[in-house]
Amino acid sequence: MAAFAKSDVRQSLEAIRAQALAELAESSGLDQIESVRVRVLGRSGELTELIRSMRELPEHERPAVGQLANQVKREIEARIESLQHELRLRKLNESLAQTPLDVTLPGVRFFHGHTHPLTQVTERLLDIWAAMGFEVVATPDIEDDFHNFGALNFAPDHPARDMQDTFFLDGGLLLRTHTSNGQIRVMEQRRPPLAVVCPGACYRRDELSVRYSPMFSQIEGFAVDDFGKITMAHLKGALTEFLRAFFGPESEVRFRASFFPFTEPSAEADVRCIFCAGAGCRVCKQSGWIEILGSGMIHPNVLRAVGYDPERYAGFAFGMGVERLALIKLGVDDMRLFFENDLRFLGQF
Amino acid sequence: MKLPLSWLREFVRIEADPATLGERLSMAGLEVEAVERLKPAFSGVVVAKVLRVERHPNADRLSVCEVDAGAAGRASVVCGAPNARPGMVSALAVVGARLAPERADGDGALRPPLEAAVIRGVRSEGMLCSERELGLFDNHRGIVVLPDDAPVGRSLADYLELDDYVLNIAVTPNRGDCLSVLGLAREVAALFGLKLGPAHSRPAAPRLGHAAADPALSIAIEVTAPDLCPRYAALPMARVEIDDSPLWLRQRLKPCGMRPVNNVVDVTNYVMLELGQPLHAFDLDRLRERRVIVRRAGDDRELETLDHVKRALLKDDLVIADGVGPVALAGLMGGLASEVDNSTTRILLESAFFAAAGVARTSRRLGLVTEASYRFERGADRQGQIAALYRAAQLIRKVAGRCELGAVIDVEPHPLPARQVEFSRERVAGLLGISMSAGEMARRLRLLEINVKPAGKGRLVATIPSFRADLGEAADIAEEVARVAGLADIPTLPCRPLKDIGGEDQRRALLSVIRATLTGCGLTETKTLAFAAPRDNQTFAGFKGTAPVQVANPLSAELSELRKSLLYGLIGTLRFNLHREAQACHLFELGKVFYREQGELKEGERLGALSYGELAFKGLGERGRIADPLTLKGVVESCLDALGLSARVEFARLPPSLAPHLHPGKAAEVRLDTGVSLGQLGELHPELALALELDYPVALCELDVGELIAYGSLRKPVAPPPRFPAIRRDLALVLNRDFPVAQVRKVIAQADASLLESVELFDVYEGGSLPAGKKSVAVTCRYRAKDRTLTDQEVNQLHAKVTAFAMERLGALPR
Ligand SMILES: [Zn+2]
Repeated sequence: MAAFAKSDVRQSLEAIRAQALAELAESSGLDQIESVRVRVLGRSGELTELIRSMRELPEHERPAVGQLANQVKREIEARIESLQHELRLRKLNESLAQTPLDVTLPGVRFFHGHTHPLTQVTERLLDIWAAMGFEVVATPDIEDDFHNFGALNFAPDHPARDMQDTFFLDGGLLLRTHTSNGQIRVMEQRRPPLAVVCPGACYRRDELSVRYSPMFSQIEGFAVDDFGKITMAHLKGALTEFLRAFFGPESEVRFRASFFPFTEPSAEADVRCIFCAGAGCRVCKQSGWIEILGSGMIHPNVLRAVGYDPERYAGFAFGMGVERLALIKLGVDDMRLFFENDLRFLGQF
Repeated sequence: MKLPLSWLREFVRIEADPATLGERLSMAGLEVEAVERLKPAFSGVVVAKVLRVERHPNADRLSVCEVDAGAAGRASVVCGAPNARPGMVSALAVVGARLAPERADGDGALRPPLEAAVIRGVRSEGMLCSERELGLFDNHRGIVVLPDDAPVGRSLADYLELDDYVLNIAVTPNRGDCLSVLGLAREVAALFGLKLGPAHSRPAAPRLGHAAADPALSIAIEVTAPDLCPRYAALPMARVEIDDSPLWLRQRLKPCGMRPVNNVVDVTNYVMLELGQPLHAFDLDRLRERRVIVRRAGDDRELETLDHVKRALLKDDLVIADGVGPVALAGLMGGLASEVDNSTTRILLESAFFAAAGVARTSRRLGLVTEASYRFERGADRQGQIAALYRAAQLIRKVAGRCELGAVIDVEPHPLPARQVEFSRERVAGLLGISMSAGEMARRLRLLEINVKPAGKGRLVATIPSFRADLGEAADIAEEVARVAGLADIPTLPCRPLKDIGGEDQRRALLSVIRATLTGCGLTETKTLAFAAPRDNQTFAGFKGTAPVQVANPLSAELSELRKSLLYGLIGTLRFNLHREAQACHLFELGKVFYREQGELKEGERLGALSYGELAFKGLGERGRIADPLTLKGVVESCLDALGLSARVEFARLPPSLAPHLHPGKAAEVRLDTGVSLGQLGELHPELALALELDYPVALCELDVGELIAYGSLRKPVAPPPRFPAIRRDLALVLNRDFPVAQVRKVIAQADASLLESVELFDVYEGGSLPAGKKSVAVTCRYRAKDRTLTDQEVNQLHAKVTAFAMERLGALPR
């Protein structure tokens, strides 16, 4: 058999290439591409056979023809690969288009609970006082007459006790009517200087209603130091700083003379109504001001009751109702919401 | 205290508008809670004199009156009132006038304007009005009767000062002196720098009538309890004509909230409102033996008071007695038997100073608070008795006939000198944080009728007026100095920490971590009241103490004890929310419980948790896991992790007798390794759950917060992640069904194998090929060395050793 001519081989390669590329161009599926691949590049494919037969070419012609053959092979392979990729991608996109996500569906939530609004307000209040250097101390709810009244300068049978209708237990004990017992409990144990806040539950004989609850929470605070180091001016400073931290730096604060058995002089602190900016509304009873807390210089009789010499020491004290502050801060007007625990309410905090 | 502005102006010429006045009083400690505007319920009514009264020609019951209305001219009006008589002064509604609505409960609109009318053939140009028609009082028996000297032609509204403001003042308990028009006028004068008018502040002694020597007016007065009654003054009066009070007097009492009774009683009330001194009028002829003894009740047991209530007396109650027995409860209320009524002609006016404490004690015990007791408790003017008697006598003579006066009897065993308070300028300035001269202090105090004089050595002495029972020491003086100028005068100084900020607040930090963990696990915090019904405390008895704590004066039987446990409140919250759309509830509460321990009352902080229904991580249409004791245990374990306590806590089966409210088979005690009990966890007893009509079990847990805080810590050891990999080997053991699984881990962990890092449970299996009464427990043992990667061979040897140890110690069969 006569040897292949170099030119024949070239022609065959060109023909294989042209045909393969033409077929590939027309193929529309992976199957067709595969059959082209098998027919041309398979173990006994046209190109494979042709390359195998090139061994019979004269030695000197082989490199040039071989190079061409490889080029054709790579070209066809590359085309096949790119077509396959293209087709696969098209197919994937087609199938992905079949299973779209309705992005307006709700997310699957990691459910978390809520701390009680009163807890949140209490924590905020304590954070402010703590940042101002006041130490937080826990004190008992069950008290005796001395710590709740006597040491706080409530004379027996004095009408000031009527302001705080008391729940009595037995053995002369009662449920504290205010957290002011904290003053006595702490001062009995320690010596000045002191700066303390006592949060906690208090109890008074009021039915649960829009405005009152038989159990509520207060924060009592007080500071005692050598006479002259703590004055009414410092009380005003401390409370103004506190109120601005809680209600906002622009808050306007005023102090009104008042009466509490355990402070003298006594003062109530008001904040310019945050609902009407002072114009007068239902919340502030048209006064433009909201009563926030009671305060004053610790009464000399209170200092005496804990064995402090009022000539030597002076201090201020203040007390605030957490529910009241929460109602104002949250813009809610019903005390009962805090204690009925409707999850539709609590879930908002 | 209700203060009509018109009455205040009798004492002090205050020009400020009511809002400014209210604000200034509020700033000075007399909080004005409301300013009420009063307006007449009519218009076009004038004071008019009746000149002639003639029978109506065509009607028996009517008359035709000729009236003089001054500038408004004369008019002829038809009138049906039986009391119309020539010469009387009354109220004429002129044509165009509008009268009060017919019905007090209507919409409040005035009647249409009055027109001239022809009544039974006679023309009527106006109308003489009754008190009801003017909306003054519910009196329709006749036309209004005004004093003979009332200014004819003047607008009736002006004359009666019906266009007025009433300040509602919350007087604090220390300011008894401000429970009167005079007292408030003093404050207003001080605050506005005005002078108090002399009007009625010091009424002169009225001239005695002829009756001074009348034996019928003689009476013996004796005080045997001067500690409770330091002063008792009285004035007998004769020929008193008891009747209704004139309109002006009733009109004064009305805005102050007092109902008219009769002229004498109304005068006593008037003087009390005006001067602050409570008075009482006895029917003199009903005082037996013509004696008055101010004494302790002693053996007298009962007194029927004016309000027809029989009051039980204690031996120390102060009473006013006559020769036979008690006739009044001193400072509180008069007795019924000596009451002034229409038949009374002689009276004894009492004006006494009763000590606050005694009145308060009796008032509180009887639950009886009167205008008088309210004032005595808060401190009446120690020297105000005689002036009040004089003032009352003057008024009674004006409104109850030309009565005759006896001699004032004044019993004061130990007259009290004016109180003096010594203080220093430095003390007052140092308390307030101001610099102020002694002169300025004295000036301010003088406004309040407090006189200051030097007392030598730089000290000052203040003489306190008798009406200020509340001023006793330098701090009180400081308050007055500050108050009278307003607290805005005091500077505002920064108040910086007084001491070093101590260590972090461990307690708050731990509580905050507990809350954060629980909310992170999906639990919402609740707050319930600490009161409980006895049966709730029996069912949910908590885990400490024996008996509950009772409230001596509860709001109701349902709230008569303090809670021993938080669980009942949580179940109440569950019930509440299930009735309000909730499908699931995962709740916790941090609060106090109360109990008795060896007779003593104790309180403890608890963490209560309740988990019911689906746990919420789920998509649409999917079912969430239903909460049960193990899911709640998981929540508790998360908390223990956060507090660094996990490794030290174990859950042990709880005998049903210790937690009868829990499912007997699903109850655990949460215990520290030292044996300290931290609380309980389990499922609500199905019997108790029945009443709640639930779909799922209720998981409950209650822990002792005190112990959690005592043992918990936020400072946990921190280690870098291991550098070499761990190698795991599983181990399955067949054990008796009731063998506690936690024991398996615990025992295996004791194996003598230092490279055994951890033992984790991964499966518990029963049934199938296992023998009855057995279960298979599978654990993963994790082996790791710190300094190298372990070889399989090494680990196999170790694991074989551990397996053998486990089998032997647990008495387990291999799987
Ligand atoms: Zn407002």
